[in-house]
Formats: sequence, structure tokens, C-alpha cells
Amino acid sequence: MRGEEQNITTATGRVEKDVLAALGRPGLRYLAGVGLCALLALMLFILWGGLALRGLGLSGKNHPVGWAMLITNFVFWVGIAHSGTLISAVLYLFRARFRTSFNRSAEAMTVFALLVASLFPLIHLGRVWVFYYLLPYPSERLIWPNFRSPLVWDVFAVTTYLIVSLVFFYVGMIPDLAIARRRLPGLRGRTYGLLSLGWQGTVLQWRHYGRLYLFLAAFATPLVASVHSIVSWDFAVSIVPGWHTTIFAPYFVAGAIFSGTAMVITLTIPMRRWLRLEPYITVDHFEAIAKILLFTSLIITYTYLVEHGLSLYGNSPFERDQYLYRALGDYRVLFAIMIVCNSLLPLTMFVRRLRRNLAWLFILGILVNIGMWLERFVIIVASLSHDYDPYAWGTYNFSLVEFGITVGSFGLFFLFFLLFVRLLPVLSMTEIKEHQ
Amino acid sequence: MDRRTFLHMLGLVTGTAALSACSSEKEQNRLISYLVPPEEGVIPGEALWHPGTCTECPAGCGMQVRLRDRWPVKAEGVPDHPVSAGGLCVRGQASLWRLYHPQRLKGPLLREGGEFRAISWDEAYARILAALDEARGTGRRSIYLAGRTTGSLAALLGESCAALELERLPEFELFCHAALRQANALLFGQGEVPHYRTDQADALFTLGADLLETFVTPVDFARQFANRAGRPGRRWWHAEPHFSLTGANADLRLPLRPGSEPHLLAWLLRRLADGGRRSLPAATVAALPDVTLSAAASATGLSPGELEELAAGLSRAQEPLVLTGGGATGGEGGLAAAMLAGLLQWTLGATGKSVDFTRTENYAGVGSLLDLERLAGQLERGEAGVLFVARANPVFHAPVAWNFAGRLRGATLRVGLGDFFDETLREMDLVLPLSHSLESWGDVEPRRGVRGLIRPAVLPLHDTRSEGDILLELRRRSGAAVPGNYQEHLFGEWRRRYDTHTLRSFVDRGFVEEPVTAPPVVLNARGATAFLRGLRLSPPSEPPMLVVAPSIRRFDGRSRPLQLLEDIPDPLTTVSYGAWVSISATDAALLRLAESDELRLSIGHWSAVLPVKVQPGLPAGVCVVQRDLLEANPGGADPRTGEALCHLDGLRLEKTGKRVDLPVLAGSSSQHGRGIIPDPAHRKEEYKRASLYPEHTHPEHRWAMAIDLALCIGCGACAAACYVENNVPVTGAKDHLRGREMSWLRIEPFYDVPGGVEFIPMLCQHCHYAPCEPVCPVYAAYHNPEGLNVQVYNRCIGTRYCSHNCPYKVRRFNWWSHRWEKPLDRMRNPDLSTRTRGMMEKCTFCIQRIRAAKDKAKDHGRPVRDGEVVTACAQSCPTGAIIFGDLNDSSSRVARLVRSERAYQVFAQLGTEPSVWYLMKKVRGEG
Repeated sequence: MRGEEQNITTATGRVEKDVLAALGRPGLRYLAGVGLCALLALMLFILWGGLALRGLGLSGKNHPVGWAMLITNFVFWVGIAHSGTLISAVLYLFRARFRTSFNRSAEAMTVFALLVASLFPLIHLGRVWVFYYLLPYPSERLIWPNFRSPLVWDVFAVTTYLIVSLVFFYVGMIPDLAIARRRLPGLRGRTYGLLSLGWQGTVLQWRHYGRLYLFLAAFATPLVASVHSIVSWDFAVSIVPGWHTTIFAPYFVAGAIFSGTAMVITLTIPMRRWLRLEPYITVDHFEAIAKILLFTSLIITYTYLVEHGLSLYGNSPFERDQYLYRALGDYRVLFAIMIVCNSLLPLTMFVRRLRRNLAWLFILGILVNIGMWLERFVIIVASLSHDYDPYAWGTYNFSLVEFGITVGSFGLFFLFFLLFVRLLPVLSMTEIKEHQ
Repeated sequence: MDRRTFLHMLGLVTGTAALSACSSEKEQNRLISYLVPPEEGVIPGEALWHPGTCTECPAGCGMQVRLRDRWPVKAEGVPDHPVSAGGLCVRGQASLWRLYHPQRLKGPLLREGGEFRAISWDEAYARILAALDEARGTGRRSIYLAGRTTGSLAALLGESCAALELERLPEFELFCHAALRQANALLFGQGEVPHYRTDQADALFTLGADLLETFVTPVDFARQFANRAGRPGRRWWHAEPHFSLTGANADLRLPLRPGSEPHLLAWLLRRLADGGRRSLPAATVAALPDVTLSAAASATGLSPGELEELAAGLSRAQEPLVLTGGGATGGEGGLAAAMLAGLLQWTLGATGKSVDFTRTENYAGVGSLLDLERLAGQLERGEAGVLFVARANPVFHAPVAWNFAGRLRGATLRVGLGDFFDETLREMDLVLPLSHSLESWGDVEPRRGVRGLIRPAVLPLHDTRSEGDILLELRRRSGAAVPGNYQEHLFGEWRRRYDTHTLRSFVDRGFVEEPVTAPPVVLNARGATAFLRGLRLSPPSEPPMLVVAPSIRRFDGRSRPLQLLEDIPDPLTTVSYGAWVSISATDAALLRLAESDELRLSIGHWSAVLPVKVQPGLPAGVCVVQRDLLEANPGGADPRTGEALCHLDGLRLEKTGKRVDLPVLAGSSSQHGRGIIPDPAHRKEEYKRASLYPEHTHPEHRWAMAIDLALCIGCGACAAACYVENNVPVTGAKDHLRGREMSWLRIEPFYDVPGGVEFIPMLCQHCHYAPCEPVCPVYAAYHNPEGLNVQVYNRCIGTRYCSHNCPYKVRRFNWWSHRWEKPLDRMRNPDLSTRTRGMMEKCTFCIQRIRAAKDKAKDHGRPVRDGEVVTACAQSCPTGAIIFGDLNDSSSRVARLVRSERAYQVFAQLGTEPSVWYLMKKVRGEG
């Protein structure tokens, strides 16, 4: 303890003070924000109760569109969860220094987005009260889940990812929690002390910590690819035209990183401002992450071209009609917005001035997320609307219940995030110190 | 007590408490088996079949009901019935709804100050008798108006009217076929609707008669259609102004201008009179209107080539038949059309053969709108005393201009007999509820010499009486000596008519055929010539015009209360709930109307606002609305025949600019070249599949279905049968608008052939490699050893993935827990469960019937025979287009059909290997 105190220079002390300042007494505006988000989250659960008690007829779904906004939200939130791991694990392995500015909030975002995402498969179940049929529990009837079904893969993929992300998030935070223990008085200090698992900062601990962190980073990295690949297989394994393509796994992973990066930008810009973290999260850092955004956007645009090009080139009338319908049919406006947000606007990132313009970056982050949400919506809904049997074609109109649940999921996510901002150190103090 | 004892005691107490909690007294009922099973009665779990007659329309098809635990749960055709031969139409299937309908009249009602009040039968009888006495005292005539009445009730009604001094009016039917009867009376002295045997004709030309929808006996005509199909060299032309299901099924549909039927027939008669079997007198031929080919062509709007082909086809044929009726005789030229068609039948040699006057359709007591007009006059002049209206809805059918509802007030007491509040009963002072035909005794004679039984299958659900009982009771209370009730009266009648053996067979089989002597059919040439001399052909209607068509789902409107019929879409437009007007694509483009846009139709003072449905194949300038969808009869009556006018000139169309939500169930009217109904010219491709999984084995049975598209007429009877058999919920307009219909079986119309339509019934294909099975995370969809794709409701968690992966989109998700309003819940089939919210359901190939057949075979220690398992859809199909059986039995009918050259599977290229094979209309290369 004493040794550690001796190491504190004025510079590192300022880091600690700046970062931990956020853990102080909350202001009214913050409380109002938390209250609003909590109300929205409450709305989500009330509406969910309605769906479970009255039936899914309260949603706008029909035959043939049985998955719509709720599954869109699931894919969207799983996608958001992606860049967390990417920024912390992959960039860690690649020794990309700018990750330090984002990794904690990105990891938190991962965990929270996954928590929100994992609600949606449950909400959309017709009989959520028997959801445990999905789990391989020892049943007296000797029935297991059907391991051929991608929905079962989903259960494993998402829970694995959630556990690994949570561990990674927590392990990375232990040294910082120890700092909080030291800096904060009373019960709060003791709580952080409990959470820091007796971290002393000894050389041995640091060595073990470094090994563990590296191992977890290496372990989490393939998950970036696997989780969203499996989510994409929910669609690609089916025979629905518009879903049944081999490009879906890389396509979805790139899309997930794209939307996740956009979400990191959207969250960090205001956080940086409100918590006065400008010295630690610099414009250079944003420029670096904007490059990731641009790169993934180009991948996405490429997959759009491949998807549509191959469907037109190929000899399947079902595929061809589906992709024409997607671009020109009932959902053409959404499709156009998607193209503008995902493929055209990110091209502005080629311009250095715009890359460094935080206001534009913030707006772009939001627009990209709108575009990516619509991308999932268009893939899911347009494909279902127009599959094999023309007699069974039909269109989907969302209901207020689904809209409320979608808004509520954002409420829940921001509630988690607001609580995180005030309760946990939002930047990795130890890593900043290391780089200084 | 030491610690161990305490733990023992604790364990004992907890265990007993837990054990006692395992049973719930509330949910338990005792089932005590019979020591001696009763000969007839309730055996739990055993089904009883009661034969009888369907009374949903006047056709009188044989209908047997299945009783489970004493409640009727399913209606089916009687296999060897002379009228229907085993089939049952969509209305017949839905007729159980009438029995259990929550809105049925439940007891006598009296109007007091605009409100109806429940009264007792005693009070009702007393009021009627008092009013009858009063009318007699004031010199007013009391009148009895009934719907079509045949059999013993007709006789009893005659006697009772005489005894009670009632004037019995000719019976009222909207589809009264008065023009046909009048023409036959003029030509042959037989004022009857003959029994047409269209299956005997190798060249059939039908003009207006909607054989497959409502014309006299549609199920019989559907069966005749099946007999014709597949026989080489047969040709069927159908001419009509609009586009009907009958026209859709004809080999060639000729769209002609309404009112031009006499022109066409006159030309045909001139053209064919020389080479006919029987020659017409020269004077008659000379009296024929001089219609040349070009005149006929310009009047009808058909090309001379088409007309010549038709005439050549009829003159070449061995057994040609020209048949007119329906819309063709329901107009100003109706009588002329019927007369000319009668002469054509005569000269072509059809009269006496395929036009059978021996077993005529029994319309002897039926009048026409002219009788109603006379009644309106009597009421207006204040001559009417008590007015009885039984089983008829004259207020709905009388032309608006007559103000029939207002004139009804001229009667001193208006007594209505019926089962639902309709336009007429709402105008009555006293409403007497009638028992359903499944609650009462009776008989009908729909065709001369064919008597159908009406036999109670269930005790009356409500305080209702049969019409016979009401009449007898009125006579008894008026002081006459009436022995017993209507049942005893009936048995007395039957004993007089039949010997013990026949009576027994009548009660057991539900019908009896009596010998009928053929009446002499001789042409009254002089009468015909006189008529022709006086005939002036009026010019045909000018577009735009309104065609008021009958409805396959609601007949003339009498089946409107049955909601099941609204859940099943109209076969041609696939509109389920609500009213609409069909217009042609040309008119829609001209008026800039999109589907569901509102259109105001007006003729004179009458107008109606209806949403638009574009009907492919409809000629320009023709708007079609089904009679039952209009609130009132916009037309008038033909002054000569008294038939309601079916096509009305002077139609004005006006776009209101509003839109109405119209539930159109078809997502597209075209199959977009997807080969669901393949073009026979296409090469049949063979598809091979590779699989890592072991093949399915079917050691005992492999159930399969074959559907013959050459026989499918698109009537929807199979869908109705499926609803009733499988407890499929009827969801209502709101869910239909959102695309949440629950039907397990649907008929898809595709308008890809020019000017025509093809139908394909779509149901779960029970794929050998079902895409729904691997994607279900919990094995709720699985493949059973008999080749069925089974849905385990209790295991389903409702991910709906199976539905998405189904290329046929036949899976249905329960968006709600659907309720069966009491007493409709009695109609549910106890052999299978009703599904609750959140689970997927679909066609099971009637697995409960498979079970029953297997159990029966096991009891007898033999394998299941071919044809022993009949699914509900196959049973109901009037044309026998659906065949079900075991593929493992290579001699079964289905196995033979599957090997046929016509067999194909829908979306075979996906490798799903369905267990449903469709049989193409034509074999490749042919035509």
C-alpha cells in the first residue's frame, strides 16, 4: 500500500482525480436522465407482460412476417455489443494505443448491449414461460434441444459471449477498482475494495494480471467472429430467399463492428464532454476510430453489391425477385435510407477535416446506427414478406407495442450506461498511466 | 422428540401434503364405464353418425352429422345420396354454425314500443289466435308466406292454411327459376325445373347458369363436372357477362354482353335447326327472329369465329346440351332466353335425355317476385290481417323501390318465423324462433321422388319449435282435433307412404328414392311459334352496368350469419370479410382506382358505396357485386317472369376518394412464373439431393395425398371442412386485415392463363425433408415414422422459425388464445386439442382420423385398408379431387396417382420432397 502511494506522481494523480471525479455526487440533470431511462425500461417490461399475457397479436406481426422489429432489435443490440470486444481485445492484441481511451466504455457497452439483446429472443417467444425448453437440462422426458437448429446455437453463442465479455470487463477493471478503493472514503471505498478482490498492485499480481488479460483478449477475439456469424446463421441456415446466402457470416460481423464502432463514437463524444475527459480522449483517437468506421462501411457496401449482384446474376427467380423487391418494393424507402446511411455518408470519412469534426462524427454515428437498424429490418422483414408462394405474400406494419419495446430497450441500455458512468471508472487509469 | 424423529415427521408431513396437492378435485370428472353398453346413446369417446339432409340452401344434399358425447361436431356428405353423392359444399360444412350460433333466436319475442321482449309460447299462440279472430271479424285476409317448402311440411302447411283460413302465398325464393319453369310450361306443358345431366353431354354450352355456385343443386353439378373431367372429346363453353367460378372452370369462357342471350340463342337455333335430332316445324323456324352471324356477334360482343366454333362444336357432338339459367334468365329477355334454350334442347335431342323431366327439381310451390308484389299491393290496400313470414327474407329481396318494409305495416299482426334476426324479422311484431334441422323432425323432397330425412341429432338448444309443431299447435288451440305433435304426424305420413322396410332404410340412410313415372314431354309447337312471333329482341345492355351475382358463400344472403363463411375467402377475389365491388382492370385504370378505393355506384335513386377489387378477366364496363353484400335489392323484377333483375343498366360510377381496408388474402394474383401450377409444356425436371443424415424410414405406413387439379373447382368446401374438423379458430376481420388468418387449408387462385384462373389447394405438404423440422430448437416439429410432419403443440415455444422456413407458408401461429363464444364451444372436435396463444399449428393430415382408422383395423386384426382413412377435406370435396392414402401400399389409389404422368410436387427444386402430389390438368405435350 505504502509502496503504491509513493509511486504516485502529480501527473498520475491528476488522471485518478479526473477519472474518479465522475464518481462524485450526481447532479439533478443526471438523476432526471436516470429516471427517464428507468421509466422507459419499465415500459419495456410492462409491454412485454402484455405480449405474454394477451398474446403476440399485440405486435404487428402476421403470416408470413413472424419476425420483425423484435428480432431486428436483437440483431442490432448484438451488433452493438461487437465493437466492445473488438476495441478491447483485438486492438489490445494489435497494440493499438488509442484503444485506451475507449476500451472501458466499449466493454461496458458490450455487456449492456448483450443484456438488452438477450431479452429480445425471449420477448418474441410465443410461450416465454417455457423458454427453458431451449436449454439442455436433464428432462425426465429425455428430450434435449434440437442441436441442428441455429436458434439453439444462438443460445450458446450469446451466453458464451456474455460471460466472456463480463469477465473481460471485470478483470480489466480490477486495478482501477483498487484505485477507487484507495481514493474514496467510507462505505463506497469498502465496496470498491470488495470488488477489487484484494488487488495490491504487486509485481506478481501485475504479471498474473497481464497474462490473464492477454489470454482473455485472445479468447474473446474469435468470439467477435463467431457470435455474429451464428446470429447470421439464424437467417442463413434457412431457405428463405434473401436469407439463404453464404456471405451472411462475414457480412454480419462487419456490420456488427460497423454499428458497434458507430455506437462507441455516439456514446463517447458526449461522455467525454460531460465528464471533462478531453485530455485523455483526444481528437486523434476519434480519427483512428473513424477510420475503422470507414473501413467497415466499405466492407458493408461491398457485401451489398455482392448480394444484389449475385442474385441478379444467378438463375433463381426467387432470389432475383427478392432482391428486386427489397430495393423497389414496399420497403424501398427504408432500403434507400439504409444505403445513404451505411454506404454513402461514411464516405465522408475519407476527408480528414470531417474525420476530426466531432459534431459530424456524432451525427454520423447516430445515422449509421439508424442505417444499420434498418439494414437488419429490411433483411428480416422484406425477405419474409416476399418468399416462395406469392399467395402468401404480405407486408408488415409495426404496432405501438413493438415500438414501445424498442424505445424501452434504448431506455434500458442508457440506464445501464448512465449508472456505469457514475459507479465505475470510465477510463482505464492504469493503462493511461502506463502510456504516460 | 429427538432430532431424528422430528426429521421423520417433517418428511412425512411434507410428503403427504405434496401428494395431496398432486390432484385437483375441481378439474376431475368421474368416468364410469357402462356395464351394458346402450344400443344407441352416449358412449364416451365413440362417434355416432346421424344421417339427414342439409337445409342451408334448397338443394337438399344428404348430410350426416358426427355426434361426439351427444353433440354434433361435424357435418359430412352422405356417400350414396342421389342429390349430392357424398360431397358437401362450403355452406353445408358451415351449417353447424347455424345450430350453435350465439346470436340465434332463443325464444319467442314480442315487439313492444320498438323493443323486443321475451314472451312465452303460450302468450305467442294466444296473441296469434286473437289476431286471427280479429282479422276474420274485420274481413281482412290473413296470409302465410314461406320460403321454399317441400315434403310433408308442404302438405301440412296446405292443410293448416285451410284450417286456419290463411291465404297461402306461393313460396318465396330469390333464385326461383321462374323463367325456366314458365318456358317449360309454354313449350312442353311442364312448368318445372328439369334435372340436368350435364355429365351426359359431350358438348355442353351453359349460358348464365352458375352450376358450381348456386344453380339448383351445385354439389350435384360439381359431381357431374368430375364425371365429365378427364373424358376425351368433351368440351364445355360457358357464356356470362361477368366472371364466375363456373366460368372459371369451363373449358372456354365467353364473356358476353348481358341482355344479348336471346340474340345468341336465336342465331344458334337458326344455325342448328336443320341438322338437329328433332326437327322443328317450319312455321316455328320461320318465326325465329332473324339474327345473322354478324348481328349475333355485334350484340354479344363475341367474335364470329368464337360463335361459329361454338355452333360447330354443338352440331358435331353426339349429345349436345344447351343450358340456360341464373343470370341469363334473370333479365328483361329472360323468358326469351329460356324459351329459345328450351327449343334448342328439343331440337338437339337433349330434352328427355340430359334434360330430364322425370325427376324434376321440386320448385312447384315456388312463386316469384310478382307474388311478392301482389302481397305488397294487398298490404297497401289494407286487405291483410295477420301476416306470417316463415324462412324467407322478403324485405331484403324485394326491390328498394317497393318499400316493402314500410308496406308491411299494413298487416294487423306480423309474425316472423326464423332463426336469426334478419331484415324481415326486424320488422315483425312477433318473432317465433324455429328449431334447427338438427333439432327437429321433418322431411324434404328437393327433387321429385327423392325424399330426404330431417332427424334430430340433438335436443333443442333453446326454447324453439319446428314449423310443423307451431302449425299443429295453432290448429289445436283454435279448436281443431289434432293428433299428437309434428313427429307423430310425420311418422303417420311416412307409414302411409312406405312399408316397414323402406321406412327403416329411410331413417337409417337418411333418404329414400321413390319410383316416378316419366311424364309425356311433347313440344307445343303452336305455342312456341306464337311466342316467337311476338318476340322482339331488345338491344343488350350498354356498359357501364352492374351485375348482381349470387354468392357461393352466402347463397342469396341467407348464410350471412355464419361467420365461418366469412373467414373462408371468396374463391375468385380472395376477399374474406366485408363487401366489395369487382371491376375490370381497364375501368380501374380509367377511373384511377386502386384496390380498396371506395367507389359510389348509383342507378336511379339507388346508390351504394363499396371498396373496389380489381378482378382479372372481367370485361370492361362490367361491375359485379354479390347479391348478399348489398343492403337492398337495387333492381326490379322482370314483369313477365318475376325474376329479380341481375344486370342493371344506367350505372354511374363515382370515386369518393376514400379508402377502406379490404381483407384480400392473396398476396399476389399471379404466381410470377414460379411453377406452383406448372406450365405443362415445361420439361419436368428431376432433382437429386444429398444428405448427411440417415434417410427416414417408414416401416408401416407412409401417408400421402394426391390432389387432382383437373377436378379442383376452387369451391372451398375442403377449407370449411378443415375448419370444423380441426377446431381451427375463426379469427375475424381485424386479424384478417393484418394477415393473420388461421386456415390450415386454402385455395390459391392464380390468374396467369389469359382470361382465366387456375386453382390450387395449399396445405401442409408433409415434406419428406421438411425445412420446418431442423430449425425448430425444441423438436416441436418432427417427422413421425408414418411420414407425417407432426407439430407437438405442448412442446412448441413459439419461435415461428418453422413458419419462415416453410416455402409453402402453411403454418399458422396463434397470435391470441382464440375463444369459442358459447355455445359454439360445443362444436369443437374433442378428438384433438384446441391450441392456445403462442403456439404454431398446421394441417395434420387429420391425424385423429388416421388414429381412429388404425384403431379400428387393429380391433379387427387386419391392416388399414386403402380408402379407410379419409381426411376431412377429401371427404367434403364434391368432385373427389383429393385422394388420401398409404404410399407403402403400392396398390393404393394414391400410390397409383403418384406414379401418374400428371403428378408433380410444388417447389420440387427445393428438395423438400412433399407428401402431397398434385396432378396437372394436362399431361405434357397435350394441348
